Amino acid sequence: MVRHRIPVTLEEALEHLNETTYKIIAGGTDLMVQNRAWSELPPKFDAPLLFCFNLEALKYVKEENAFIKIGSMTDLETLLHHPLTPEILRKVIYEMASPAIRKVSTLSGNIGNASPAADSLLALYALDAKVEIKSQKETRLSTVSELILGPRKTALKQNEIITEIIIPKSSFTQTCFVKVGGRRADAISKVAFVGCASVENNVIKDIRMTINAVAARLIRRQDIEKGLCEKTPDEVKQNVNAILEAYSTSIQPIDDQRSNKDYRKYTANNLIKAFLNTL
Amino acid sequence: MSTINKSVPKVEAKDKISGKMKYVSDYHVEGLHYAKTVRSTIAKGVIQSIELPPLPEGVTIVDYQDIPGKNVVKMIYEDWPVFAEKNISHYGEPIMLVVGPSKEMVQAVFDKIKITYQEETPIFDMVQSKVDYHFTKGDPQTAFQEAKKTIKYTYETGYQEQAYIEPQGFIGTLEDEKVTLIGSIQAPYYVKNAVIDTLSCKPEDVRIIQATVGGAFGGKEEFPSLIGCQLAVALKKVKKPIKLIYEREEDMEVTTKRHPSKITMEAAIDEENNITAIKSHVGIDGGAFLGLSSVVLSRAMIAATSAYTINHLQVDGDVYITNTVPNGAFRGFGAPQMIFAVEMFINHLAKDLNEDVHDFRLRHLAKQGDKTTTSGTFRDPILMPEMIKKACQISGYHKKKALYESSEKMKGIGMSWFLHGCGFTGSGEADHIKAKVKLRKDEADHVYLEIAAVDMGQGAKTTLMKVAAEVLELPLEAIHFANPDTDIVPDSGPTVASRTAMVVGGLVARAAQEINENWQSGKPQIVHKSYKQPDYMEWDQATFNGDAYPAYSWGVNVVEVSVDPASLEVRVEHIWSVYDVGKSLDDNIVIGQADGGTAQGVAYGYLEVMNHRNGKLLQKNMTDYVIPTAVDMAKTETVLFDNPFAYGPYGAKGAGELTLVGGAPAVAIAIEMAINKRVSKIPATPEYLMELMNND
Repeated sequence: MVRHRIPVTLEEALEHLNETTYKIIAGGTDLMVQNRAWSELPPKFDAPLLFCFNLEALKYVKEENAFIKIGSMTDLETLLHHPLTPEILRKVIYEMASPAIRKVSTLSGNIGNASPAADSLLALYALDAKVEIKSQKETRLSTVSELILGPRKTALKQNEIITEIIIPKSSFTQTCFVKVGGRRADAISKVAFVGCASVENNVIKDIRMTINAVAARLIRRQDIEKGLCEKTPDEVKQNVNAILEAYSTSIQPIDDQRSNKDYRKYTANNLIKAFLNTL
Repeated sequence: MSTINKSVPKVEAKDKISGKMKYVSDYHVEGLHYAKTVRSTIAKGVIQSIELPPLPEGVTIVDYQDIPGKNVVKMIYEDWPVFAEKNISHYGEPIMLVVGPSKEMVQAVFDKIKITYQEETPIFDMVQSKVDYHFTKGDPQTAFQEAKKTIKYTYETGYQEQAYIEPQGFIGTLEDEKVTLIGSIQAPYYVKNAVIDTLSCKPEDVRIIQATVGGAFGGKEEFPSLIGCQLAVALKKVKKPIKLIYEREEDMEVTTKRHPSKITMEAAIDEENNITAIKSHVGIDGGAFLGLSSVVLSRAMIAATSAYTINHLQVDGDVYITNTVPNGAFRGFGAPQMIFAVEMFINHLAKDLNEDVHDFRLRHLAKQGDKTTTSGTFRDPILMPEMIKKACQISGYHKKKALYESSEKMKGIGMSWFLHGCGFTGSGEADHIKAKVKLRKDEADHVYLEIAAVDMGQGAKTTLMKVAAEVLELPLEAIHFANPDTDIVPDSGPTVASRTAMVVGGLVARAAQEINENWQSGKPQIVHKSYKQPDYMEWDQATFNGDAYPAYSWGVNVVEVSVDPASLEVRVEHIWSVYDVGKSLDDNIVIGQADGGTAQGVAYGYLEVMNHRNGKLLQKNMTDYVIPTAVDMAKTETVLFDNPFAYGPYGAKGAGELTLVGGAPAVAIAIEMAINKRVSKIPATPEYLMELMNND
């Protein structure tokens, strides 16, 4: 007998997680689709479900010292309109899915689902976001990029739940999000790109670039980014081909029902180039 | 001039918007059973064994052995089985139904059925011709011999999915020997006739009722006959009411699509750089069974020069059978493929000949009195020159074209000119359909349209009721038009081929006229009318010679695009259209057809991608099969020209398909301008544009 749970407090949720294996549902916009069954029949889950959308204590956005902290059950539509939401994250959310989906979906769900084409992860990787993870006995922190191991695979343990997304406050002189999907709204990315940079006195002080849907995990190459810092925009622009060459070892896309690998690589390169040209 | 075009609220709009309207899935019958279709998991081969689990009480398997009549769905050719017997011809081919009192029970049995196959090598290329047609006009051979030069190109088009809102399905009941099917359908009598053959029963033992249809676009023309036959066989065996409604993915994976095509055109050019003759070969992929493919092919071939007149033609065509899902009816019915090829070809010829495209096209534009492709006559006035001027004026076409052609900005503007034959091809109306309508007046002087026409959202109810109200000088409230029920309405034909307003509407007008002339207030009156072909029409089906259609609707589309330099994504900025549909029976409804038709037609040209891998369709849900959202859809501006047709009600001709057929070439020509490369394939996706850009 499968017993699904709908806890109203985090303590209750953690207690359940300690007892047996649950699939954690925040908004359910991925899991319900992935496990759909013949209409009018319940979805086909192989594990009991822990519905966490009633954990009111995990719905918040707050500022603490140098961080923006987002409760893990905060929906994307709230984040879209919240004044504390970092600008680049807001740009990404604005183009995600549809208003109805955004109303129930969450950042923690996007992290837990670990799709290589997830858009919000672009911003979270670029912003060095961390997550707070809790079990009954322990609270730990992890960067988002370390938590995600591969397509649909995370390092989240069976008794753990993501409770908070922690984003270091940062300021950039420019940010850019380009989503390339099959259409202009309500689309899954063929490839998408986030670029953030700070250029002061014609010197690049900070630059971050993330790309999705071109490898098993999102791409962020901090080694390449470091090499671009303290250079002038012109030096970088003259060096574009070498930079693309450096990225090419990471950009390893596949053919699927939405696009093909040649186009994904072509477009990823063009998006990097276009961003560098705006510096 | 009649003011019938003045818009009224659609008669069913309130019920649809409020959610009150019942669709087939909303019907509930006491003791309802559920059916699920077991399908092949290979593209070609032979069934070796079928292993069934022990069946719980109440669960029944229905397959070909249960068919009392012929195991074939009655269409034009008898090659499409109701259930596969031994041979499998495509992935997803129906083998049997599992029927039971609950979905849980049906699913549990379904999951345990094991079928093994001897796989064979499937054929996916267009190499196995099953139907070939051929016709000529004038003397193409001499024209080619005398040509200064000849130019030849090949064009390809992909699948298109109808993407109606409501998936296919029926609810069936059995009373004594009588089968009743309520379904989401476009052609109640097609289903009825198919079921009669499959059950080998008396016509009065089959009753088909149309439930309110949530969109169809041709997808519910012939395919429902297959489901209807399967369900009827199941009803006879199980003897319980049964619901057989597809899920979205099942619907997308196994129902008919628009035929992919490969069209080669070769032109003979004279000293003045005019086209004297064209040789065309039209190849369409029929999928595993012919279905209506031969009719689709003939409509494509007859559109071989679209809105232009070329005096010498040789037109050949083939339907190729492949081990893929059968392709079938879809708004436009062969014309979108052909008109795409013709419009691209004319543009490419003008470029090769260093001719101004606009001038080159105008020199070849069809005029009243010209001979059609099938050597019939364009009898009615052709307003295209004025319509083209209007389209150029409202879109700023010439100025934008000059600007975009000389700029590096990746912007483009494209124009397409086209026609669409209204009604069935040739003598189809007179020889096969033989439409009948019945109008009944009751004691309260209310008039009931008893016709088989289906409103699938296109506005058939409102427009036909308006026609009757206008003729009878009655308020719309005194006119009634219930969903067709074959026990009540005569066969006024399927709701397809842009025939409903013109042909059925014409009959309704004549019947209403007769009631009006013999009006007896307070007394019931009944009038029947049957279709009569206009006297001038002559058609030889064997040679494709004569008047293929009683009338033509005409159109001009202009599409403006910009292409993103980094991603090569196309953004459609604006769409302008000018149409001659004879006489609009309701401006809002025609504009609705125009906006929807252009959205579907333009998206066919650049957005909608469907492919198969080893016979299995890859885009099988609305996430992966991308149709335009409101955000993708450009601003539209549509102008209607009055050009009344003598045999249509108030002069109305067809409007439903016309608005789709010109979208793809207009957007493709605009994209060509933006990227300065030749487009010869649709959909012109960013992936394809990348190939073009890389081929320097």
